[in-house]
Amino acid sequence: MGNLKHTLFYNNHVKAGATLVDFGGWEMPIQYPAGIVDEHIHTRIKSGIFDVSHMGRFIVSGKEAIAFLQHVLTNNVLALDLLQAQYTMIQNSNGGALDDAYLYRFYEDEYLLVVNAANAKKDWQHLNKEIVAFDARIIDQSAEIAMISLQGPDSKTVLKKLLGSENLTEPLKNALAILDYQGEGLLIARTGYTGEPLGFELFAKAAQGPAIWEKLLDLGAMAIGLGARDTLRLEAGLPLYGHELGLDSDGNEIPIFSCPLAKFAVSFAAVKGDYIGREALANQYIGFKKIMERDLADLSHLARIVRPIAITGRGIARAGCKVYKDGKEVGTVTSATMVPYLKAVGYGLDSKITDEKAMRAIGLALIDGDVELNDAVAVEIRGKMVPAVIAPYHMKSDAPPFARPILYGVEVERKFDSPRDYETKALNLLEKSYDNTILRQHQTINLIPSEQTHSAAVRLLSIMDPSFRYAEHKKTKSFYDYDVFYYQGTAFIDEIEYLLMEEMKKYLRCAEVETRVISGQMANVAVFSALMDYKNRVNRKVDAKRLGYVMNNHIIRGGHLSAQPMGALHDYIAVDPVTEKTAVVNFPVEKDNPFKIDVAETKKVIEQYKPELIIFGKSMVLHKEPVREIREFIDAQKLSSIIMYDMAHVLGLVGDHFQDPFAEGAELVTGSTHKTFFGTQRGVIAGNYDKDDYKYGLWETIETRAFPGSVSNHHLGTMLGLLMASYEMNCFKDLYQKNVIDNAKYFAKCLADCGLEVAGDPAISYTETHQVVVRVGYGSGPEVANRLENNNIIINYQATPEEEGFTASGAIRIGVAEMTRFGFGKEAFAETAALMADVILRNKDVKEDVKRLRGQFTSLKYCFDDEEIAAQLEKLKNTF
Amino acid sequence: MKIIEGLKYSKDHEWVKVEGNLATVGITDYAQHSLGDIVFVELPEIGDVIGKEEAFGVVESVKAASDIYLPVSGTVVKINEALVDEPELLNTDAFENWMVCVEMDDPAQLDELMDAAKYDTICQD
Repeated sequence: MGNLKHTLFYNNHVKAGATLVDFGGWEMPIQYPAGIVDEHIHTRIKSGIFDVSHMGRFIVSGKEAIAFLQHVLTNNVLALDLLQAQYTMIQNSNGGALDDAYLYRFYEDEYLLVVNAANAKKDWQHLNKEIVAFDARIIDQSAEIAMISLQGPDSKTVLKKLLGSENLTEPLKNALAILDYQGEGLLIARTGYTGEPLGFELFAKAAQGPAIWEKLLDLGAMAIGLGARDTLRLEAGLPLYGHELGLDSDGNEIPIFSCPLAKFAVSFAAVKGDYIGREALANQYIGFKKIMERDLADLSHLARIVRPIAITGRGIARAGCKVYKDGKEVGTVTSATMVPYLKAVGYGLDSKITDEKAMRAIGLALIDGDVELNDAVAVEIRGKMVPAVIAPYHMKSDAPPFARPILYGVEVERKFDSPRDYETKALNLLEKSYDNTILRQHQTINLIPSEQTHSAAVRLLSIMDPSFRYAEHKKTKSFYDYDVFYYQGTAFIDEIEYLLMEEMKKYLRCAEVETRVISGQMANVAVFSALMDYKNRVNRKVDAKRLGYVMNNHIIRGGHLSAQPMGALHDYIAVDPVTEKTAVVNFPVEKDNPFKIDVAETKKVIEQYKPELIIFGKSMVLHKEPVREIREFIDAQKLSSIIMYDMAHVLGLVGDHFQDPFAEGAELVTGSTHKTFFGTQRGVIAGNYDKDDYKYGLWETIETRAFPGSVSNHHLGTMLGLLMASYEMNCFKDLYQKNVIDNAKYFAKCLADCGLEVAGDPAISYTETHQVVVRVGYGSGPEVANRLENNNIIINYQATPEEEGFTASGAIRIGVAEMTRFGFGKEAFAETAALMADVILRNKDVKEDVKRLRGQFTSLKYCFDDEEIAAQLEKLKNTF
Repeated sequence: MKIIEGLKYSKDHEWVKVEGNLATVGITDYAQHSLGDIVFVELPEIGDVIGKEEAFGVVESVKAASDIYLPVSGTVVKINEALVDEPELLNTDAFENWMVCVEMDDPAQLDELMDAAKYDTICQD
């Protein structure tokens, strides 16, 4: 193979005993002695490294670099933030792919474009021809930069060891970072071609490449050849140029939109302007939408799309095999083979990946647009019709750190024994409920920060008579805003709601509250809906504009789900036409403490984006939020941003011991009434607008978005209970709040003293709230949480700011509010810390110790419990 | 790489073991090694009449499908069904794990096959 090119890693491959083949003019390893099957499996359960230095690496820079890239690539380069990468196509004027590529922005004004090896020369010529019209430069740095792909669940650990650094990139796909390796910059990207949720591509100085390769092998990664690279990408459903892109088996060009990734890789943003192939692509997009929307009358814009196909009969499909449905040819297989996987046992988070290998025949096929998901088809393999099915996907990566094979047709079974006759069912239900209550109220240490036991009075009131009633009401202008009720028999609940509002105003130190929302999430929805409605109040003859920009805490840094685009913001957040992403920016966090907002950096972001709405508040919360600092900044800058504090988790801490949101400058507060507050499970919205404030109209809109916008009936029983809870809170808050925060700090210290790794700043005893976060090892959160539950200690597993998602959680989140309310003090928390350390570090069985400890603390404090109260509660019970 | 004395070999890397009129056929160690991980085996049916150098089955690795040719013509009398469920047996031991047994209709065809020594030289090339 004398004329073939060699990458920098050629000697490494020869030394490893690789089988070398000609690949696009390069002599490359097709496999190593382990073989394709083991290489594939090793990547999926540990980590693999791939020599991808045969790919082309072009650097684009210059005054018109962006304009050039917008012209020659399909994606929107303006959507690419610094230290981000994006998948893109290099298209021709027909809307076909010259190549698919990845664009990386490691530096402010310089873009790295990585293209396929076999197309590199063609791409280079095309790009050089097009660049003439622009004030921009393109240089070929393929020889100067070594490129290694490191993929698989262990890849993060391996890379941390290689670099001796805890911090890599943000734990998000396509995130980039520049780190140091032996005095030289090492560029790392969370990208790859395996579908692995954890995977990196490394760009090193050429001279360092071979040594880094060997070091990665020493750290446990396995060298993976092109054979397994292909099976891995096929299982992930990723396209390969020459198969799913480029020319089809009959030599016709495959439209880019036939490839499902096109919807991420092609942009029609106005800022992109006209570009090569735009018209053809826009036409294809019409066809793509028709197929997706099952509007199948006319498929002339786009005839076929690439779909996963699973072979259900015996045989292995190969590229070129024809696909039939009801005897009619409906497509062609573009890539297919048999891929290995490891069998898993059990369900959900408890499922375990075993050592047992298995194989399955899968593929991708270019299929007629009117063939639907789950359709039975046949693949012609050597003249035989082999049954197959159009599958949604072959693998999923949404439960990191593992990519998990999805076998077609597997159904999850759930089975709970239930007796046949209804009398027994009913009795069982009562018995089980009794047992559950005893377990949770007498035998379990409840440490979930968002939970709270309610007092006997609160519980009982919640099920008294108004809980069966309706009491819709609305302020009416004709009556000077006097509330008009739509039902009779509401005098009692009218009074209760009035009293509740007064107690809440007193507690939150504000002018207005809305108490009809029945959850914190609903409180946020009502506020976002009202803000959007208010924004559009002047012109209602056109579609309402959504909110944007909105600033919040990123979910991976503890941001509250209810304040995210995937949560309550979903229907109210705009899409930025430039970036084509939701118009959300996040609070930057301190470099050394990702749990704390970086105020100086936040000010810069606010200046840049001028957000309409700033939402403080988190669900993983260790620090106070810098409400006052941001209020002062906004006022000084004369910005009109609304500051809202989503206090869901910390509502019960409002006051002198934690934060006083309105005094510090918040305009709106939302919250759940049952986390640190004393229950029941409802929500609340508070505002500080005077009736003569020009923004009082916003407050009135919030009220109408609560009713009739969010609720009609709003659970009157729990409102009654909540009034009692707010009496308790206003009466006992000073002692309760002080004890909760003292206990959290002390508990954190005890956990650290027991050898556990407590997150946060030791200088403030780790926390300023009711929460403590303990790191238990990457990906171990769910298992540790389970183990604690088996020992009657209930906590949450929690992803820390460095982790990719909840299934990869490496921490647990603990709250002390509920047990503080049961009278846990320093001694009890010290003992709990020791028991938790026994479970977490030594895997001891401490269930009986936990039960004994908890058994000493079964009566709730910070509530009214004198004889008169007790007698009245008995009277209420006797009404049943 | 393993080559067993006393067997006949074809240029397509099949081996033949002769017992009377019966020829047992499989793929050689060299063949399994160059195919890589074998993941699928297709065999003929008993009673099939197959000509010399005609494909009698298919062995598929992750990378590709390969036809396997019968070095001598005959009628299939036995097939090794274990390979259908465990195709990787061919990687484990290609000589132990035969594929088909045929009743030869022209044993003279055996003379055109190679002995172990000759086959070895082919594999070295």
